[in-house]
Amino acid sequence: MTLAATLLAAEEGNNPLLPHAYELVVGSFAFLVVFLVVGKILTPRIQKTLAERTEAIEGGIKKAEDAQAEAQRTLEQYRAQLAEARQEAARLREEAREQGAQIKAELREEAQAEARRIIEAAHAQIEADRQQAITQLRAEIGRLSTELASRIVGESLEDEVRQRRIVDRFLEELEGRPEAVR
Amino acid sequence: MAPAIVVPAMSEQERRPETDGRDFADAAWSVPSYLLSGILVWGGLGWLLSWWTGVHAFIPIGVILGVGLAAYLVYLKYGR
Amino acid sequence: MTPTMLVAEDFTAPGPSIFDFPPLYEGAPYWLTKPVVMAVFGAIVVCALAWSAFANPKLVPRGMQNIGEMGYQFVRDQVARPFLGKDAERWMPLLLSLFFLILLWNLFGVIPLIQIPVASHIAFPAVFAALIYIIKIYLGVKHQGLVGYFKNMMFPPGLPKPIYVLLAPIEFLSNLIIAPFTHAVRLFANMFAGHLILAFFSAVGFWFLFEKLTPLGSGLGVLGVIMTIAMTGFEMFIQFLQAFLFTMLAAMYIGGSLHPDH
Repeated sequence: MTLAATLLAAEEGNNPLLPHAYELVVGSFAFLVVFLVVGKILTPRIQKTLAERTEAIEGGIKKAEDAQAEAQRTLEQYRAQLAEARQEAARLREEAREQGAQIKAELREEAQAEARRIIEAAHAQIEADRQQAITQLRAEIGRLSTELASRIVGESLEDEVRQRRIVDRFLEELEGRPEAVR
Repeated sequence: MAPAIVVPAMSEQERRPETDGRDFADAAWSVPSYLLSGILVWGGLGWLLSWWTGVHAFIPIGVILGVGLAAYLVYLKYGR
Repeated sequence: MTPTMLVAEDFTAPGPSIFDFPPLYEGAPYWLTKPVVMAVFGAIVVCALAWSAFANPKLVPRGMQNIGEMGYQFVRDQVARPFLGKDAERWMPLLLSLFFLILLWNLFGVIPLIQIPVASHIAFPAVFAALIYIIKIYLGVKHQGLVGYFKNMMFPPGLPKPIYVLLAPIEFLSNLIIAPFTHAVRLFANMFAGHLILAFFSAVGFWFLFEKLTPLGSGLGVLGVIMTIAMTGFEMFIQFLQAFLFTMLAAMYIGGSLHPDH
C-alpha cells in the first residue's frame, strides 16, 4: 500500500472529530462511576482527615503553647516565692540580730546590776565584819589594855567604874585617828 | 453591575490572593479563543457580504476587523 | 533508486485508521471495542486506586494514602484554590474525579499492551467538556441571574454603546461555543497526535529492524526505536499536562460563573 492508499483508507474510516454515540454513553457512565466512588465517597473522607490533621497540628501547637505558658507561670510563681522567702529570711535574720543585741544588752545590764549587787553585798558584809571586828577588837583591846595597864601600874584597877572610864577614854583617842583603824 | 447579580458573601480581601493567578490564567486562555471568535464572527460577516455583493475584499477586511476587535476586547478585559 | 528508498517505498506510515477498532471478537456487539473496554477499565482502576488510598484515611498517612494525598493536594492547590478560592473544597469531588480519570486514561497511551489514550477518541473529552459546560451555564445563571449572566459575559461595563455591537458577538461566540469546543478538542488533539507520533516511530523501528532488515535501513530502525523511547517520555509529560489543563480550565469556567470579576 502506498501513503495515498493509507490516507484513502483513513478517509473511508471514521472521522476522528465525530464522536461515536456508544462512546459518549460509555464515557458518561465511566465518569459517573468515578464521580460517585472517588468524588462522593472518597473525597469527603480525605477532606475530613486533612481537616482533622490540620486541627491536630493546630491543637498540638495550642497545647504546647498552653504548656509553655503554664511552665512560665509556675516559674514566675517559684521566683516570686523564692524572692518572698529570701525577704522573709532577711527579715528574720534582722529580727534575730536585733533580738540578740537586745538580749545581749539586757544580759549585760543584768550582769552589771548583779555585779553591783554582789559588790554592795560584799561591801555591807565587809562593813558588818568590820563593825564586828571593831566591837570584838574594842572588847579585846579593853581587856588587854586593862591587863597591860594593871601589869604596868601594878595596881589592880578594882574599881569597875574607873576601869571603864579609862578604857573609853583610850578608845575615843583611837577613834580620833580613823586612818589607823582602816 | 446588574442588580440581578447574586455574589456569595465574601469580602474582597478573602479572595484577593487567589484572583491574581486566576486573572493571569484567564487572560492566557481567553486570548486565542477571542481571536478565533473575532475572526469567525467578522470574517464570517465579510464572507457573507462578499457572497452577496461579489466583492471579495470583504473577507480580508472582516478578518482583520475581527482580529483587531478581539485584541481590543482582550485589552479591555485584562489590559486595563 | 537506492535500496533504502526501495524499502522505504514499501513502508506505510500509520494513519488515523489506527484509531479505528473493530469489535473485540467475532460476533461481539459493534460497540464493544478496545477503547470502550479501556474506558471502563480505567474507571475501575481509578476507583480501586482511590479506594486503597482514601477508603480509610489515617491522620498519619502511609503507603497509598501518601500518593493519593499528593494527587489531592496537587489538584486542590494548583487547580481548585487559584480559581475557586474558598469554594475550592466544595468542588474538589468533581475536579479530583476529572483529574484522576483523565490522567489514567491518558497514561493508558504509554502503558504496554493497553497503548491507547482513551481521550484520543473525541467522545470521551466531549462528555467531560459538555458536563463542565452545563455546570458553567447553570452556575452562571444561578449566581448572576439569567439576564445578569449574559450581560456580564457580553457587555463589559464602561464602554460606549456602539462598541458593544462590535464586541458582544465575539464574546458570545468565544464563551459559549469556542471555549467548550476547544476545551474538548485540546485534550483530544493532544492525545490523538501524540499517539500518532508514537505509532509512527515504533512502526519505523519495527519495519526496518524486523520486517525488512537491511544494512542501510537498520540505522533508520534504530533511530525509530530511540525516538519511540524519547517520545514515550515526552508523551507522559504531555498526558499529565493535558489532564492538569483540562481540570484547570474546568475550575476556571466554574470559578468564572461563581464570581464574575470582569
